[in-house]
Amino acid sequence: MTTISNDQYCGLDHRSNFSPGHTSKGYCTLLFARREFLDALSSRWFLLYTIAFSMLSISVSYMSLAGSGSQGFAGFGRTTAGLLNLIMLVVPLMALIAGAGSIAGERERGTLLYLLAQPITRTELLFGKYIGLAVAMCCSMGFGFGLSASVLAWKAGGVGLGSFSMLILLTCMLSLAMLSVGMLLSVLSRRSGVATGLGLFCWLVLVFLSDLGLMAGTVIFKLRVQEVFAIAIFNPLQAFKMGVIVNMNASLDVLGPVGTYATRTFGDALSWLLALTIVAWIILPLLFAMLVFRKRGGV
Amino acid sequence: MLKSRTLILLISIGVIGLATPFSIASDQPQSVDVIAELIDQADDGATVTVPEGIYQGNLIVSKPITLLANGQVIIDALGSGTVIELRTEGITLRGFTVRGSGSTVDHEPAGVRAFDGPVIIEDNRFEDVYFGIDLRQSPETIIRNNFIIGKELELGRRGDGIRLWWSHGCVIQDNTAIDLRDMVFWYSEDLIIERNKVSQSRYGLHFMYSHNTVMSENELTDNSVGIYLMYSNNITLKHNRVVNNRGSSGYGIGLKDCDDIIIQDNALLANRVGVYIDNSPSSVDAVGLITRNRLSFNEIGLLATPITHDNVITENAFIENEEQVTVHGGGQLTLNSFEKDGRGNFWSDYAGFDLENDGIGDLPHAPRSLFRNLLAREPNLRIFVHSPAQQAIELTARAFPDLSPQPMFTDPHPLSSVPALQLMSSSDSTNPWPMAALSGGLLLASLSVGWFIIYTPGRSQTQRLHHLRSVDA
Amino acid sequence: MINAKQVTKKFGSTRAVDGVSFELGASESLALWGSNGAGKTTLIRCLLGIFPFSGQANIGEHDVQRHGKLARAMVGYVPQELAFHDDARLERSIQFFAKLRGMRVSDASRVLDMVDLSGHESKRVRDLSGGMKQRLALAIALIADPPIIVLDEPTSNLDASGRQEVVETLHRLRETGKTLLFASHRPDEVHTLASRVLVLEKGKLIKDVTPAQLWPTHHSLQTIRLHTTSENDDHAANVLREAGHTVNLNGHGLCVSVPNNRKGEPMTLLAQASIGVRDFEILENIQPSESNEPNAHPDVALNAHKQSSGKQS
Repeated sequence: MTTISNDQYCGLDHRSNFSPGHTSKGYCTLLFARREFLDALSSRWFLLYTIAFSMLSISVSYMSLAGSGSQGFAGFGRTTAGLLNLIMLVVPLMALIAGAGSIAGERERGTLLYLLAQPITRTELLFGKYIGLAVAMCCSMGFGFGLSASVLAWKAGGVGLGSFSMLILLTCMLSLAMLSVGMLLSVLSRRSGVATGLGLFCWLVLVFLSDLGLMAGTVIFKLRVQEVFAIAIFNPLQAFKMGVIVNMNASLDVLGPVGTYATRTFGDALSWLLALTIVAWIILPLLFAMLVFRKRGGV
Repeated sequence: MLKSRTLILLISIGVIGLATPFSIASDQPQSVDVIAELIDQADDGATVTVPEGIYQGNLIVSKPITLLANGQVIIDALGSGTVIELRTEGITLRGFTVRGSGSTVDHEPAGVRAFDGPVIIEDNRFEDVYFGIDLRQSPETIIRNNFIIGKELELGRRGDGIRLWWSHGCVIQDNTAIDLRDMVFWYSEDLIIERNKVSQSRYGLHFMYSHNTVMSENELTDNSVGIYLMYSNNITLKHNRVVNNRGSSGYGIGLKDCDDIIIQDNALLANRVGVYIDNSPSSVDAVGLITRNRLSFNEIGLLATPITHDNVITENAFIENEEQVTVHGGGQLTLNSFEKDGRGNFWSDYAGFDLENDGIGDLPHAPRSLFRNLLAREPNLRIFVHSPAQQAIELTARAFPDLSPQPMFTDPHPLSSVPALQLMSSSDSTNPWPMAALSGGLLLASLSVGWFIIYTPGRSQTQRLHHLRSVDA
Repeated sequence: MINAKQVTKKFGSTRAVDGVSFELGASESLALWGSNGAGKTTLIRCLLGIFPFSGQANIGEHDVQRHGKLARAMVGYVPQELAFHDDARLERSIQFFAKLRGMRVSDASRVLDMVDLSGHESKRVRDLSGGMKQRLALAIALIADPPIIVLDEPTSNLDASGRQEVVETLHRLRETGKTLLFASHRPDEVHTLASRVLVLEKGKLIKDVTPAQLWPTHHSLQTIRLHTTSENDDHAANVLREAGHTVNLNGHGLCVSVPNNRKGEPMTLLAQASIGVRDFEILENIQPSESNEPNAHPDVALNAHKQSSGKQS
């Protein structure tokens, strides 16, 4: 067998301190993150997503501000609202699908088993994949936001710099949350087709069904404002939307009586409450995914 | 050093004792009695020049004279009562800094309170006052070029920047008010209100039972409500800029029981509601005219109560309002006209076309929105605006026409392009470079992160690997 | 090097591995023998700490369930078939695994050289032949030069020459003192490579013997591949199994292991069952390097053989 040359060999003392043939937790995680990032970069979905998101955000920004003449600066809020709609539609879809494909895809190809036979832990694998996908998505969105910021600068001047930065931050948080849910679905399902299906279903529920259901509930059961708010905030998309609006307007009054109730009741704590909701959606599904991935031990 | 200062002090006291008008620079606060004595010694109609300095206490002027500040003259009531009371007509107050009124609600302490008009209040600066300028039956008063900034209180507890009470024929020009309650006009007619700026207050301009007035070129930004007219008739609003008034009412212009209002050439931008019409006009034969305004980027462009009638809404540009027109509580606006002489309004959401190329859309604009109708009936549903579920409902309604509600209004002759409007130009120009920098930064960051990940780990890792070795079998 | 105590793995109510205990010393070479479904693969996955299981297993001093990462660091694993992203290029893939084990990029080219894959670095994994893939897997397993190599039927998807290459490489590795643990269904491989054989049946360990004990050397086994005229090889396979032969359907045709002196027997059996044999070939074989005198009666071995191969799933 080939021996390692002497320059790499520091004697037996060191060998007893280092367990050979594997790497530290953080480095291993980063390796997987990088691998996932590169895989994402070279995949068609990612390219498509980046292009779609960029084009849509540019056109939303442009359309909102078209015909505004010299009054464009006032259109910042409106542009953000348009972007909000786009983000709530596209970002969760992408993050859920990407997350859902991650583990289930490896499982279906049989690569998962091979990876797990290497000196790594399941946590490193899962977390590495999560980070890689998260960075890839945030880069892609950063690119899209960069382009729409240039439209804003051109048409609306420097209005709302803080609010826009906050929108970007919250969007990244939302994508992390949805990715987290996607990975949970991925860990739970045996085949990537199933995982993707679950991801789509989850998207449908979060984006449409839960809102429509709550709307029906509001009308039929005459829910009170506090009830509507309490239910709505559980949906990370609603929390995200309210977070963006409260950040831009300093209140949720534009959301009608429910928004006014929330603003009055929680005051300054409201934005923290909303941010916390999204953070919970980031952490809890990911934690749960790790538990399931480790306990079930499927390959 | 000490000696010379004491000397100056002694001299100045002596000089003041002699009541000789002159000016010295002194940081040492004096009593307003100093000014009172100056006034006492002046004849009616004379001009009294107040030397630079800080004067503490409450000043009462009851002689028709002209009070001029020579340089920086500060009159400070130290937080109690009204700072200056003008108790007779014919007084002119010019160039003072007035500050530190009381803040108790019951006596409504003000910066300047006038009890008899006409007086002239000009070029003054008001700081830390509860009310700014309060006119009690002081007709034909001129309030011009004053700057008023209120106390740091909650919106509901503040006093008014300028208040007129039974004061007809006044001129209110070029004043700026920040952090106050309203600029409010009670029972005062035939006013001229021009080029005032109100921001961060409750109602920018507020009319109560005040008729026959023209308001033009005022700028109302970041208030709860821009202009609110109540029970006031025959008022023209022209060339005003009403921007970003988004309080819990949040109207750009609100009309309550007002007859014969003309709203023309105003820019109404980014308010919660551009124009709110509540029972106006309310009398028989009265009309309302809303024309040539730009209503852009508001949450709701035009909001009206269901009984609203006899308004003519024409040649306005409704651009990118979240809701262009809606009825409070549901219903239709069929008793109003959205065109005049064959010209309607420009609608950024107009889905028709202008094949004839005559500037008028070939199809009427009659938007139907199921979600809007739901919103009008169930205000709680407003929490779902700006969400894809809202779009889903609209799409469903479009796919199943049976679900489509009646249109809230019909514009039979929508304009196919934005009409040329004579709007007041924006005084606030924003610097686009920070946003451009953000844009560049984001693009650069996202690309360089990608580049970094692709190219560097191979290199950076060799160093880490110096610590890692493999087994030598 | 490997120490297993009462390793039990249940999938639902079936016990895929049932109370298997054994010890494997350094430089030993252990074959897992049994039919498909006997639990070879599951046992290997348990030993690598990929599956949770009850019982205990150590690699070196590391408990595979609690310190799986450390345990796996001592093991190079070669799967039945290398599963990679098809689009991945060979070089980037092996570099990734090199880094995973804390090795340099240069180590990757070193092992590629070792398995004769130099020059193919820029190929995509999907363009590699089966043998090349297995050599790549071997290269990855060897990259950090671990003391133990675990192989799960490494040659089952290979043609004769591919198999020969892999077996030769493994043979060399054995001689360098590596500990080998491999699952196989080919007696010749077991003969050549293993110093011990664990015979598994329905998840249970039923024998812990030497290859010579399992198959007497004077009847050294040969594998023949039969191509029948029948469309359904399963039927032919069952006929042969009933007669006590080990049959494999992996690859093309039927692979039957027979003692050297009874090579015609399968053809006779098939003829009796009215199944025509279109063609046959005798696959190349590596003669066992040692020839210990067997203690066990040949029939016993053949009997065990029959039982294990009877339950083909």
